[in-house]
Amino acid sequence: MNLLRSEWIKLVTIRTTWTMLGLGLLGEALFAGLYVALRPLGELTDFGEEVAPGTGLLLVLTLVLGVLAITTEFRHGTASSTFLASPRRHPVLVAKLGAVLLVGLLAGLLFVVVNAGLGVSILSSRGGELPSFSDLVSIYAGVVVSLPLICAFGLGIGAIVRNQVGAIIAAIAFFFVLSPLPTLLPGSIGDYFPAQAIGSLHGHTEGEASLGQVGGGLVLAAWALGLWAIGTAIVVRRDLSE
Amino acid sequence: MAELEVRNLTKRYGRTVAVDDLSFAVDAGCVTGLLGPNGAGKTTTMRALLGLLAPTRGEALVEGRPPRGMREPLRTIGAALEATAFHPGRSGRNHLRTLAAAGRIPASRADEVLATVELGAAARRRVKGYSLGMRQRLALAAALLGDPRILILDEPANGLDPQGMRWLRDLLRTLAAEGRTVFVSSHVLSEMAQIADELILIRRGKLVAQTTLEEFTAEAVPMRVRCAAPDRLRAALVEGGATVAEEDGALLVGGLEGAEIGELALARGVALHELAPQRSSLEARFLEVMGEDEGEGGVGDGA
Repeated sequence: MNLLRSEWIKLVTIRTTWTMLGLGLLGEALFAGLYVALRPLGELTDFGEEVAPGTGLLLVLTLVLGVLAITTEFRHGTASSTFLASPRRHPVLVAKLGAVLLVGLLAGLLFVVVNAGLGVSILSSRGGELPSFSDLVSIYAGVVVSLPLICAFGLGIGAIVRNQVGAIIAAIAFFFVLSPLPTLLPGSIGDYFPAQAIGSLHGHTEGEASLGQVGGGLVLAAWALGLWAIGTAIVVRRDLSE
Repeated sequence: MAELEVRNLTKRYGRTVAVDDLSFAVDAGCVTGLLGPNGAGKTTTMRALLGLLAPTRGEALVEGRPPRGMREPLRTIGAALEATAFHPGRSGRNHLRTLAAAGRIPASRADEVLATVELGAAARRRVKGYSLGMRQRLALAAALLGDPRILILDEPANGLDPQGMRWLRDLLRTLAAEGRTVFVSSHVLSEMAQIADELILIRRGKLVAQTTLEEFTAEAVPMRVRCAAPDRLRAALVEGGATVAEEDGALLVGGLEGAEIGELALARGVALHELAPQRSSLEARFLEVMGEDEGEGGVGDGA
């Protein structure tokens, strides 16, 4: 619990965290507000599919926040202080996982406030057609779950790569470039990669083999935890010589 | 039991041997200096003692135990490693708060140690704007956070002005006098001469000598003596067990302390005109011990 508090303080006492969350939310607010306000009502038939999942901007920034949660420690040499305060390294990595899940959850909740607040209120004031309340809840639940998981996914890659720029590039490339590729393969193997898992989690249903929201969430969680476990094993063994 | 001990410590990085079968022990109650040129293995040795890197062979022990298993790490051992090891965007105070939280130390302690290192005024500013000296002080504050029994400081005098040096020396003296173990590294002999009581000299990862500063200095630094009757005093000094050489009409006296020389002169009725340690030869002695071939490290100079 002490370590979780320590990791939380680390995240909230640098501007980067707030800048990135702020930018992401601002982008999502502009998108939701403008899209719903400007699109002809006749073409705006599926709020749940078109607007509610957002643009992916906040998703990318949250992914990067997860990477930074550990790479900054190596970049600025604070990892040494961290592991002096807690020479047992496993608990530190568990605390980092907890902290990024919390930041991701915060991002998710704020996203819902912004997206639903602007999108739904503007749409209903224009007299547009809203999806059912239960549909909205399930889409937003998917988003709220996906952000902590993507943040943890970033943490795992950061722990494995350690170099900050390298890890950011690796995380983005893996998530957005490599992981959609297996959909080109026959069968449903592509669904078990993170990009498609997020799609399932957000309630997309294209393709027959969609895993569904729960399935998508479990797949994404498995990726995040798996990478975190590999990264933890590496960091626990690494010499800190700088 | 020594507070800090390395036994046959060896650390290799690929083919490079950073520390080579090094053994020594550090006791409480005094300031022990780890002195050697850059690249001698000082930082590696300290990091092994802190559990930050795993020895290739041998062991590093804190209070007789491996450092990775410490129960209350910050209360046992405080370390200041490099002046740059902070997130530039975080304030000094917040840096300490993250450590205090992890080490189960009340957050109020952060303000206390900031006051101790006289950094209170800059505590809420981001580290980005700190000078090297301020970073050194912040690193020291972090080391003191848990009120530890042992302090390990890597090149703490780097970037301090003469006033800062005096302040550091007084602080370390006080901490050692309280019964703590203070272990400090430097590649600059003149810094060490101001700070340390005990000296551990290493070179190329190996132990060169473990001695007290007094012994090292006494051996190295003769007293320069000018007087009214050099020949008469010279005879008395030699009788008293000193080695005497002559230089520019002055006597260079080894093996006796200033007070002893003065007493002898008084007994013989010789008026002393000058009695001073020949400081420059301390550096010479250091170079001699270390071997002058280690040029790159800037041994002994103030660089």
